[in-house]
Amino acid sequence: MPSPNDLADAVERGARLSEDQMVMLQTLGDVLDVGVLCVDPRLVVTGWNDWLERATGKRASAVVGRPLTDVEPQLRPASRSALEQAVRGTTVVMSHRLHGYLIAIPSPAGLERFANMQQSVRILPVFSDDGEERGAAALIQDVTERVTREEELRMAMEAAQIANKVKSDFLASMSHELRTPIGAMSAYADLLTDGIFGEITESQRDPLERIKSVGNHLLGIVEQILAFARIEAGRETVRPTDIDAVEITNEAMIAVEPLIAKKHLALSSEFAAPSMPMRTDAIKLRQILINLLGNAVKFTQTGGIAIRVSMPSDETVAFEIKDTGLGIAPHDLSRIFEPFTQASGSLSRSHEGTGLGLSVSRELTRLLGGDIVVSSEVGVGSVFTAILPRLTLV
Amino acid sequence: MNLDDFELDSLSELFNVGLHRAAASLSEITGQRINVDMPQLVVCPIAEIEKPLADLVGGEIATVHQIFGGAVAGDAVLLIEHDKAALLAKLMTSGEAAGGGRLDQSAREVLAEIGNIVLGACLSGFGDMLELPVSFSVPRIHIESLKSILGSLRSDTTEPQYAVIVATQFRLSELAVDGYMVIAIPATSLSRITHALAERFG
Repeated sequence: MPSPNDLADAVERGARLSEDQMVMLQTLGDVLDVGVLCVDPRLVVTGWNDWLERATGKRASAVVGRPLTDVEPQLRPASRSALEQAVRGTTVVMSHRLHGYLIAIPSPAGLERFANMQQSVRILPVFSDDGEERGAAALIQDVTERVTREEELRMAMEAAQIANKVKSDFLASMSHELRTPIGAMSAYADLLTDGIFGEITESQRDPLERIKSVGNHLLGIVEQILAFARIEAGRETVRPTDIDAVEITNEAMIAVEPLIAKKHLALSSEFAAPSMPMRTDAIKLRQILINLLGNAVKFTQTGGIAIRVSMPSDETVAFEIKDTGLGIAPHDLSRIFEPFTQASGSLSRSHEGTGLGLSVSRELTRLLGGDIVVSSEVGVGSVFTAILPRLTLV
Repeated sequence: MNLDDFELDSLSELFNVGLHRAAASLSEITGQRINVDMPQLVVCPIAEIEKPLADLVGGEIATVHQIFGGAVAGDAVLLIEHDKAALLAKLMTSGEAAGGGRLDQSAREVLAEIGNIVLGACLSGFGDMLELPVSFSVPRIHIESLKSILGSLRSDTTEPQYAVIVATQFRLSELAVDGYMVIAIPATSLSRITHALAERFG
């Protein structure tokens, strides 16, 4: 008799089983929780292990010696063809997703989503020592439970994707609805401040300036939500043009100057070259830099922000934004790029904002073919580095 | 050992017949019309396989590996880039092309069956058309990098080894999925095949 190792080797490598191996396989099948059906070249059943007895309720003594089509009158053409193919010397695989099962067996209790047990099947040819075809051995594995779980998981994922799309659509439509009136509010505040509707007093000027400031702040938040919704919906497109990284960085710095001044922080810049040509989406790069600079300002109370632009290689440009802010604890580093998150707690209100800035920045950077890396020390500050290709391909 | 144009053309035709048989079997099983393109062949010493293969596939690769023996022996591997393998498995089971996703266990089994049919049909051609019958092992499926694939190709022999790289496309539902076969084969087996090709087609 062959050893179990010989048998494992035959199943794994050799493809063809000897008759002795086929007999041993039936015993091993019970140990390994696998059904073993053996047939001769005319598809007469020659082996029916205990596993099959339990699963089908048919005793081996009532099955062995009878044609398989008698035992299984509903044997499907694909199953018959697979067994015949194996008898002729070919190893056959039958996946449950393409075939369901080799022989019809009711589903195990509690897994009645499928009428029949879902089976993963391997059929090996059996040959005598002198090379004569002696039939085939089918190894039948019950995968109903696993398939049921996969099906449930797939349905849950589909439901989650639908919910996510509903959320993105809601965010996009709400943001559109909000942007127009906020824009109108800011415009009217401008007109009032400029005296279009009549002279305003000094005591009126301050509240008007506050209305404008709050309006601009709200508009910024709405723009972030819109950008996030567009990215999530895959509607954000890249429009590369020839630009200068130095110019775009200067524009981003000008945009955050009022915030810097308000908090009495310092802002410095360093460029590795007077001009650093790139081909990328200027609007998105500017938004990334404004977001990263704005984030640095938000979490810095004293000291300042330094931006350094360099070319680590011929193909890349790095924008390094260093602050002297709160810093980020190591356990928070992995989730700061998650949407609606700030390091001090999910949906924290300790610092104003949507918690979308970093998420949007990283997604935009990736859209341009780059990525953002961060290093930080609590109480010392953080360094966010956006690394972008000099040539962004669409 | 270099194959001349006649030998390469004959071998291409042999694989073409095998691939069309495989496509017919897959069409029957899935109920969908599946076609394959005329395969492109490269034959080279196995030590030189990395460059031509790296030009074809990269990243995470789904492989179906079968060892074959008999009149000719060797290793046969079907390679499909992971995302495309997930797409192929999904197309064949549901006819849907949207989002291949990850290859779950059931999708891997589908891929093992596809691999078994494709590799089996091509290897059976040695027996049916060249009278060099082979048997092959149960397929094993892995998700791996090109480097680990190259390391796994059998080399437990001192005999010079060659690789036959077969590139084709599976076409279904108006989409095409690139698939590649690598057959690692000792010089004696390759020589038997070329002699048989000369006798059969020469």
